Amino acid sequence: MWENENELFKALSDAVVGMEEDLARQLAIEAVERKIDAYTAIERGLVDGMGRAGELFESEEYFIPELLLCSDAMYAGLDILRPHLKIEDANQRRFKVVIGVVEGDTHDIGKNLVKIMLEASGFDVIDLGRDIPPQQFVETAVSENADVIALSTLMTTTMDAMAEVVERLQKTNLRERFKVIVGGGPISPAFADRIHADGYANSAPNAVKLVKQLAGVPA
Amino acid sequence: MSCDLMTPVERFAAYGRGEGVDRLPCVPIVGNTAARVVGAKVSGFRGNGKLIADAQVAAYRRFGYDVIRIFTDLYTQAEAMGARVHYPDDETAYLAEPAINSADQIVSLEPANPYKDGNLPHHLEAMSRAVEAVGKEVAVTGALTGPFTTASFLIGTETLVRLMLKNPGAVHQLCELALQGALAYAKAILDTGCTPSLTDAMCSTTVISPKQFKEFGQPYLKRLVDFIHGRGRGVTLHICGKTRAIWEQMADTGADCLSIDNAADLLEAKLNVGTRVRLMGNVSPSEIMLQGTPSQVRDAVRQCVWKAHDNPKGYIVASGCSLPVETPFQNIDAMLEAVREIGWPVQTEKLEAVWTV
Repeated sequence: MWENENELFKALSDAVVGMEEDLARQLAIEAVERKIDAYTAIERGLVDGMGRAGELFESEEYFIPELLLCSDAMYAGLDILRPHLKIEDANQRRFKVVIGVVEGDTHDIGKNLVKIMLEASGFDVIDLGRDIPPQQFVETAVSENADVIALSTLMTTTMDAMAEVVERLQKTNLRERFKVIVGGGPISPAFADRIHADGYANSAPNAVKLVKQLAGVPA
Repeated sequence: MSCDLMTPVERFAAYGRGEGVDRLPCVPIVGNTAARVVGAKVSGFRGNGKLIADAQVAAYRRFGYDVIRIFTDLYTQAEAMGARVHYPDDETAYLAEPAINSADQIVSLEPANPYKDGNLPHHLEAMSRAVEAVGKEVAVTGALTGPFTTASFLIGTETLVRLMLKNPGAVHQLCELALQGALAYAKAILDTGCTPSLTDAMCSTTVISPKQFKEFGQPYLKRLVDFIHGRGRGVTLHICGKTRAIWEQMADTGADCLSIDNAADLLEAKLNVGTRVRLMGNVSPSEIMLQGTPSQVRDAVRQCVWKAHDNPKGYIVASGCSLPVETPFQNIDAMLEAVREIGWPVQTEKLEAVWTV
């Protein structure tokens, strides 16, 4: 059906941008059946599509609903392709981010978008969910040997919980081991500085740029 | 209280007629911060209309601002329709669990009865008491959450926004239910002598597109505004976050005043819709009011006034959204003081000295 691999990759990418979950799944199955390298299909198909969706989000052609449906299509394809990754591709050490909404807050759409865009950019993401106590961020970052702790909140009442994560890291001499980044409605660069976080981003695409910068990979 | 020469009611009346006033109207949007004024815990407001009223009236008397808004959180209507709200001991409540998880459960929901369900009766009691106490001198409004936002609390925001693209009929069904609840509550609010004050947080273009607002947000807001106008009252509409692309549509609801979040620009708002609506806003509640100094509050107020004081339909100095609970009193005082210092008529040459950005 496909002239060559490139057309299939393009179709996968288009299925993600077009929010077509069933089509993405079906194309991923075709890729597997035709023994196309899963890693390449993910990178040049699904991840490429999510990157384009992110650009449309930045230019305000797509909004949160569209981005979520694009990610549904991406994950549908990933579920099919991931089991077929070569062992060295599946096991390669990737930059790891522990992410969550801080304790006292259940607004998690922003956090979910950051998670989606980070995964689409090839980072390992451990999603703790919402309403997460400071200690759990620290413990998970240690046990998972993470590189970054990413904290989100929409509420001003819970901003202090972000500072508490940093303080706990300092008290336990773990501060140098992890980068801490923060984001969410009431958060500003000045607040990030004040609590001694390593970075702030005002949108999901910018959070990806920030993590890439911290990981030392070209944006 | 203050050295103001007019009561808020007199000030708004004169300002609306284009007559002289002692100062611009000023509304630091005090919600649960009122608990701090009477030394109560925020959770004490739950189920206690008298305490809400006492705190809000005390806060008004303490600061001398121009509108009392009976408000604790955005979830009261959704809670009355079955959403589960978590009440921390001394912080603003938050949504723990939506009422339903999927479109096929929408049929199980009913519009809230404002005299019976959840905390709505207590909020109505607070409105009645506040009107009775100070209604002659200051406008008392009752917070009313917009149908789209209530719908998002009823089914969960992610589920709702996915349904917008996959099953728009279900979203309309849910918004209609939320609207019926909102209309009943609006009527009850009006019957207390209060005016409903509309907030539709999730309609922000930070979340949905202008096209989606047009389909799922705006029509329901318009029906609410029409209803309130039918009772002879003006309406303020607040949408959080980014809104520039939907200002025209917000004005099309018929709302008389748009409350602009600090994520949007007052000068642009004035140029876009200033001939159609009054504007209020938009000192940052978090960065300036909560975390800033009184001098930063003063600068921020002067920047807002510089941008919007000559808005054709008028301008109210305000915070960009409800104030965080722990906003320092001195910053709220500083907002009022800055407005008094600027006085009336506004002399822009005196403001430009601080306008450097």
